[in-house]
Amino acid sequence: MVIASDLEAARQVENTILDEVERYGYSDASAFSIRLAIEEGLNNAIKHGNGYDPNKTVQVAFAVTPQQVVISITDEGPGFDPARVPDPTCDENLEKPCGRGIMLMRAYMDEIHYNPCGNQVRMVKKNS
Amino acid sequence: MSITDSDTPYADSELVLDVLQVGPAVVVRIAGSAGMREAEQMRAALEKLADDKPPLIVLDLSSMEFICSMGLGAIIQSHLRSRHHNGQVRLVNPQPAVLDLLETTRLNKLFQIYPSVEQAVRT
Repeated sequence: MVIASDLEAARQVENTILDEVERYGYSDASAFSIRLAIEEGLNNAIKHGNGYDPNKTVQVAFAVTPQQVVISITDEGPGFDPARVPDPTCDENLEKPCGRGIMLMRAYMDEIHYNPCGNQVRMVKKNS
Repeated sequence: MSITDSDTPYADSELVLDVLQVGPAVVVRIAGSAGMREAEQMRAALEKLADDKPPLIVLDLSSMEFICSMGLGAIIQSHLRSRHHNGQVRLVNPQPAVLDLLETTRLNKLFQIYPSVEQAVRT
């Protein structure tokens, strides 16, 4: 699925995935986690990766099964090194309004991997 | 004050902010979802309230079903704006999933969380 770099398109993808999650009977807690990870991943792609550029798109691939949800989000940006993102839970960063997206994806999904370039994130949530 | 997205087919996308004055405090009941699409609206609304320089803004989160990092950022922005004039932002009764998010991000160290609006206003 390829979407424009805007939040309405992101919301439609999110709802498509969450409809599948609901259909397979994932718990409310899992659905919350998956929604959170989708929002963080798509926001990062649209805002930081593509810079809201209407000429750039975001690729979203997903597979929802009774066992797990796999979501891959790819933007057209130059990528980044996720290891260099400051820890938002450090005392000196608590008052920063931004910078929590990657940490939340890591905390709420079972797996999260970036490609070497850093413009694609792949996330997995098991159905527990 | 209300911010709604009732035109969308997704009921969970609706965000409603109800504002009332309780003594010197401004109490904001935030209901629905503060997701990526609503966060900017919430940020603008909370900053506008903070600009009126109330000594205390109480955010009642008991009806908030979802919040993402951008929504958290909106709350932090209102905290920063309030502190600028020695004001304070307090949180009330978040649902378990939202409380877990506040704990995961350690924002429960930044904000005082109260079990009720009455206690948040009175303390």
